[in-house]
Amino acid sequence: MSLLMKARSLLRNLFLSRRVESDLDQEVHSHLEMLIEENIRAGMPPHQAERAARMELGGVDQVKEQVRDVRTGAFLDSLLQDLRFALRQMRRSPGFALTAVLILALGIAANVIVFGVLQALVLRHLDVPHADRVMTLQPRDGGPFLSYPELRDVRDDNTVFSSVAGVEIQDFGLEANGVTRPFWGYEVSGQYFEVLAIKPILGRLLQRSDDDHPGASDAALLSWPAWKSDFGADPNIVGKTVRLNKHQYTIVGVTPEGFYGTEKFSQPDIFVPMANEASLDGVNWLESRSRKNVFSIVRIKDKVTLPQAQAELNAITARIARQYPKDEEGVAFKLARPGLIGDFLGGPARGFLAGVMGLAGIVLLAACANLGSLFAARTADRAREIAIRMAIGSSRWRILRQFLVEAFVTSIFGGACACGLSWIALTGLAGWHPPTRFPFKFHVLPQPSLILMAFLISVLAGVLFGVMPLRQIFKTDPNDAIKSGGSQSSAGRRWALRDVLLAAQVALCCVTVTAAFVSLRGLGKALTMDLGFNPKNAVRTQFDLSGAGYTGDAADQFQRQLLERVSQIPGVEAAGYANTTPLDFDASVAAVYSQQSTDFRPSNKAFETYYYQVSPGYLTASGTQLLAGRDVSFSDTAKTPPVAIVNQEFARRLFQSEHAVGRYFKNRSGASIQIVGIMADGKHFTLSEDPKAAAFFPISQKADTRTALIVRTQRDTGDMVATIRNLVRDLDLAVPIQESGPWNSQLALSLFPSQVATVALGLFGAFGLLLSITGTFGLASYTVSKRLRELSIRVALGAQAKQVLAAALGRMLILLASGSFVGILVGVAASRVLSAIVYQASAQDPFVLVAVAFTTLLTGSLSVVGPVRRVLHIDPAVLLREQ
Amino acid sequence: MSHEQTNLLQGTLDLLILKSLIAGERHGLGISRRIQQITGGTFDVKPGSLFPALHRMEEEGWISSSWGESENNRRAKYYRLSKAGLKQLEVETKRWGRITWAIAQALETS
Repeated sequence: MSLLMKARSLLRNLFLSRRVESDLDQEVHSHLEMLIEENIRAGMPPHQAERAARMELGGVDQVKEQVRDVRTGAFLDSLLQDLRFALRQMRRSPGFALTAVLILALGIAANVIVFGVLQALVLRHLDVPHADRVMTLQPRDGGPFLSYPELRDVRDDNTVFSSVAGVEIQDFGLEANGVTRPFWGYEVSGQYFEVLAIKPILGRLLQRSDDDHPGASDAALLSWPAWKSDFGADPNIVGKTVRLNKHQYTIVGVTPEGFYGTEKFSQPDIFVPMANEASLDGVNWLESRSRKNVFSIVRIKDKVTLPQAQAELNAITARIARQYPKDEEGVAFKLARPGLIGDFLGGPARGFLAGVMGLAGIVLLAACANLGSLFAARTADRAREIAIRMAIGSSRWRILRQFLVEAFVTSIFGGACACGLSWIALTGLAGWHPPTRFPFKFHVLPQPSLILMAFLISVLAGVLFGVMPLRQIFKTDPNDAIKSGGSQSSAGRRWALRDVLLAAQVALCCVTVTAAFVSLRGLGKALTMDLGFNPKNAVRTQFDLSGAGYTGDAADQFQRQLLERVSQIPGVEAAGYANTTPLDFDASVAAVYSQQSTDFRPSNKAFETYYYQVSPGYLTASGTQLLAGRDVSFSDTAKTPPVAIVNQEFARRLFQSEHAVGRYFKNRSGASIQIVGIMADGKHFTLSEDPKAAAFFPISQKADTRTALIVRTQRDTGDMVATIRNLVRDLDLAVPIQESGPWNSQLALSLFPSQVATVALGLFGAFGLLLSITGTFGLASYTVSKRLRELSIRVALGAQAKQVLAAALGRMLILLASGSFVGILVGVAASRVLSAIVYQASAQDPFVLVAVAFTTLLTGSLSVVGPVRRVLHIDPAVLLREQ
Repeated sequence: MSHEQTNLLQGTLDLLILKSLIAGERHGLGISRRIQQITGGTFDVKPGSLFPALHRMEEEGWISSSWGESENNRRAKYYRLSKAGLKQLEVETKRWGRITWAIAQALETS
């Protein structure tokens, strides 16, 4: 056949459909008349002739329908009809349509958002050539960091990597227009950009010669975002100089757009040679094997397999361990995907996201199951319509298709809304900055591929819940249906799978609601908990003096001068400073050895302790309680014996008693340290942690450029913040203040896990509630629809409202009650898991139990209110007459 | 009306319709009656099969239609064979010949 003919027919059928239809109508009618005439000529009386003709024709409408079915584009045409019908249906019951679209939108959006995050953080490789060859070295024990000598050993001794590089994330003070501000950057070793193999958009990248020896080069490389926002995308930037921590650097180039450094959660502004770190950081760690602070990144040579590379790596680390038994005992690295600090964050992140993805999938399935039962309920209501359509010549396939089209239209609407929702959510997440001075940034900007994803999920969802009423349609017998108004199946009499599903869903909903309430309660407690210090009425100002070029004694001088000036401000009750404060995620950990130790290998340590360097007065200013002994003093100097204040946990672990004042312990280098004070336990890393050992050393015995100044005041903290800022500026304009404000608000990051958990669980809880309402509503209305006739007869025979309700919805109540009961039990059990994230999460809390029970009750009542009303308003006369 | 009348093979119906139009244009009832006549009453094509077939064949381009006056001055749609239809008639005839020959062979083999 000719394609042209087909196309012409298609166009004619679609666009001249009215003419085509009237043509067909005339043709069939003229055929009928001719048949009648023929019969009359054969001698039949007129009425008999017409009857015989009609019998031979077999129904004008049926013949027309059969012709329509063979036309070119018949499928498309009827699909359009189905579409129009589906939209009309949605308009007719907007409440139903809105609920369905909303549920789907939420279900699909949950999946798309989680997938978007998964794609951005886990699935996507770094945006560099042959990213599959780029790996990171992940230490088998301990943290994610290597020491620089370890990295150097691997770099110089291997034959499997084409390049090996190290990165240290560092905050610098960038001086511009007379003001110094914090600027985040990477100190990178010489082969860093060889590993990445990217091309600069301006100038050149850093190379091996820049990193040859300290002071080899003053080259600095800007990242694209920093060039764009901080330097106004200046095309002549190459060759210009900036001052970093008081040192002059020359900009040599700009990295390409889309390169965000090698860790996916942060965004460096500038890259400088690692060889210069001593002058920038004020500490020389390039030769220290015990100071592990470098992320590694390597490129594996072509044609070298992962096992080969790993085998050689093992040989190198075994040799390092033999050579330096004191520092490198048991050192071993494994190759891991870069981007999320290797497997250190990558492992948990992958596991977590896979878990959430699974959860989102279950949520979507539950949503589909609910919509399926809602659609089934509607199909039951429309049994007569279906029967009539079948009786006048519609095929079962045609009816089924129309239901499928309705399902698809709903799911496509849902998918479109989900697209919008996830777009907003991901854009928000990408632009969101966690409450911390660290440069966290999540590159999870929505990708166009997510639209495809949303579309696919919607189609899948549409099929899933669209086929639920399928059995009903295929079982429909037009004769029976018209006579009795829908098949009187055994719905509501036998325990069906959907009953069990509903109970399971109600239970699941209770679990999420319980978790949400537990989390909320925990958050409330966390806000008023004992931290071991008192952030109320205190102002915290943080800066790093290395950003202004201070080291050692000069830093000490500056800090003392500042403390003196601050103490003179009227309204200041107490003031003190430390290198860092608890819950700031910057605390160092050191090994503690008993006084008798002589072997200082890591495996011989007694335990590990958080440690801080503090000034006199810090204890009072921070509100840390000194239980025994004395505070540190400026008369503790490098020349006097080392001393420390330790907390109760420290003393208990070392001496099994809190009477530790005057006793000694040793540090890693073997020096004896005398304990001069005991302080109260507190929180150091997370709010939900168990008591941790901690020690305060006098900052006057070991100077540190990092400064966290704590000022306790009864005055307005806002005024005090400004006063202190000015004071710091007065002393030296070049000091880059990283953070200054009420201490309370700076602790936001500690409350952050609880807050995220509460919000996330709250959302899941709300969605669970929505699902459970629609699920219950769907099943209840389905049951009532199916048994309307029977219930009407009961009413007609004099059944009381209570009896009818019990007959109609008794089963539902059993399901709801048992589901809720199981759900609350599981929720209580599951809440133990939460205690790792949320402070003092416990479900054995009357507040939580009452709240959950109340919510469940409310939800249950809400969801059956419609069906109950329908049952109570049964008018047997109307129903029995109609059917 | 025997059972075989309704169970026309699709190709058979097309062949009969094309054949019935060889002598000139006819309307639907005319085609139906002509088929009855040339098959000795074996095939009685009902409108429910005839009209879908006619419309399908018209879309294939084998026949064309126009409105005209019937013998009793009634408006009726007339179908006539096109060039493509003539060719299709040859194809169908050959195919049918092959089928009947093959079936006959099969039945003769004991």
